Amino acid sequence: MIPWSLETVSYAGAIGLVVIGGLGLVICNHLFRMLLALAMAESGANLLLVLTGFRDGAIAPIIGYGPAGAPLVDPLPQVLVLTAIVIGVGVQALAVAVLVRVYRSYGTLDMRDLRRRMEGEIAAAAGIAAPGSAQAPLGQRPLPPVPDYELVRRSAPVRERGA
Amino acid sequence: MTLELPVDLLFGLNLDLNLDLTRVMTANAIVLPVVLPLLAAFLMQPLAQVSRLLARLLGPLVLTLGAWIILNTWLEVGPAPFSVAIGGFAAPLGIVFYADQLALLFALAVQVFTLLFWPGLGVVAKAEAAADRQRAPRRDALALLLASAATGLALSGDLFNIFVFYELAAVASFGLVCADDSGRARIATLRYLFISAFGSVLALVGIAILYLQTGTLNLAQLAQVAPETLQGPIGLAAFALLLIGFGVKAELFPLNAWVPEVYATAPARVSALLAGLISKLAILVIVRLLILVFQQPEASQLLLVLGVLGVLTGEFSAWRAQDFPRLLAFSSIGQLGLVAIAFSIDGTTGLLAGTAVALHHLIVKSALFGLANRWSGGLDALAGAAKGAPRAAGLFVLFALSLIGVPPLWGFWIKLLIMVGLVQGGAPLDLLALGAILLATAVEAHYLFRVALRLYQPPVPDRALRLAPPARWDTGVAYLLGACLVVISVAITPTTEALRVLAQQTGDVLLYIDTVFPQPLADKE
Repeated sequence: MIPWSLETVSYAGAIGLVVIGGLGLVICNHLFRMLLALAMAESGANLLLVLTGFRDGAIAPIIGYGPAGAPLVDPLPQVLVLTAIVIGVGVQALAVAVLVRVYRSYGTLDMRDLRRRMEGEIAAAAGIAAPGSAQAPLGQRPLPPVPDYELVRRSAPVRERGA
Repeated sequence: MTLELPVDLLFGLNLDLNLDLTRVMTANAIVLPVVLPLLAAFLMQPLAQVSRLLARLLGPLVLTLGAWIILNTWLEVGPAPFSVAIGGFAAPLGIVFYADQLALLFALAVQVFTLLFWPGLGVVAKAEAAADRQRAPRRDALALLLASAATGLALSGDLFNIFVFYELAAVASFGLVCADDSGRARIATLRYLFISAFGSVLALVGIAILYLQTGTLNLAQLAQVAPETLQGPIGLAAFALLLIGFGVKAELFPLNAWVPEVYATAPARVSALLAGLISKLAILVIVRLLILVFQQPEASQLLLVLGVLGVLTGEFSAWRAQDFPRLLAFSSIGQLGLVAIAFSIDGTTGLLAGTAVALHHLIVKSALFGLANRWSGGLDALAGAAKGAPRAAGLFVLFALSLIGVPPLWGFWIKLLIMVGLVQGGAPLDLLALGAILLATAVEAHYLFRVALRLYQPPVPDRALRLAPPARWDTGVAYLLGACLVVISVAITPTTEALRVLAQQTGDVLLYIDTVFPQPLADKE
């Protein structure tokens, strides 16, 4: 029988976050949602790392804080998690930057669509036939032309949900 | 022996490159190939404002200096491994660099190969020169970051430090892949970024589990406590997570969907660096973990299974590929599966075979990607390319024969080593792997010969495609690497003996622990 302490619940939550993030990356086709799923998985991993230093009833590892001789939590994972958070934020910022550039060139953030375009462009650059699918036999359904970024932005203004 | 690096010396070297070189000739100088490219990468942009020529020269100069320092240290200190405590903080608290022959060899390979495939050397057409001048400092800075991180991966003896270097290499490679500003490269970069970042999350979870079980992330200390704390399913789970996480860059089976897209869209030299160099360093990290921390047989079996899946999927996909870069990319997945299989063999045999096949792939695949720089079209368009560039085509055939494993060449001896190792292992899984390798070799021979045949066919007249011969620099590099391959194939006995000594040293866990902790830790407690 698993004891339902705060620690157990936190561990389960951390691993749950990683799993949810991983599923989100696999299931979602919208690039921004994939990014959010990635952020979620990263926070799960960071939470797990912090939890490894957790001790029941211990206080923050700061000199002169709390009573002398009181048990402290392990400071090392906290240092490590700072590094991990910074790395994660850096990678996510880079992802957003590339994402914006992709949206400006293709006017969409749909992963399937973008992937098809990429395959098509690779094939065109190499001078070979683009890979077809069962639904769209080769040469019968060419890809629609890339919409102009300005047009896309004007025709589909950003709507706030619930506003 | 542990050589401590005084803080003032470290900072002194950082700030003043003209320091007395005799002092650099100590083992401590081994941190410089990591530190100097990092420093140069951040100085690149301001320097480009002052002098473009100096900024262009900075990268190759730093890499040459790094290669010289590593060679010098290797010759001065000799074959025994040594460790350097960074900043003078001793091992379990501070970070150590551990330099044995394997680490030094790969650190040297990083400098040499980054130099050979330096993105700014002799490729730029006159028409693109203006745009390239804008981009060059940024791209060079990223390449230097990649070199620094890769050297760090080879030398570091601390798991979290390795994780940080791994992330640094990842970010630098994202930038390099989409450096030439094409839409398809950006899409490939995004997909690569998502896969790679999720792999890092998994590796981080693995690291957290390791820390939870052992309370340390220093590899030497992990090696001491692993036999008691990391046996059983939890240790295996941690290894699986680390394997999949670091396996992203190593092109191992589950998370390698990025490989064909990135290599088809990135500049060929970046592909050469990623496929040749960075994948080997990721494998090196996995091997260090396997030897030092996860000694249970299940861990090796897991690596073996992923390797077999990689070999089969990679080679069959390469067989179906229609264009040259993606053919090379899939073939690279297959070859790295072979590396994983080799390292999963027990004992010195496995380490010897693994190191040999990793070095072989480093030489051959980098050279092939270099040749693919101008031959990036479909396979049909390659018809008649041998007429325009007979020497490049000849080199392709040489490398292809060695990849397949045709007897006098090095590739044959390596495959023989792996097969003998697998037969000696004798478990059903080993024999399955043996069958997979034989099948994959047949497939590999078929598609590589098909390309060779295309090269020597008469050109198709109605296509009228003028194939430019590979750039002079790339052909030169391919010549150099081809010469290396031939020399090694001729001097196969001394090479194998040298690698055997290296493998024995790598496999010696006690030596690693004793080098990092000169007196056993048990005495202190």
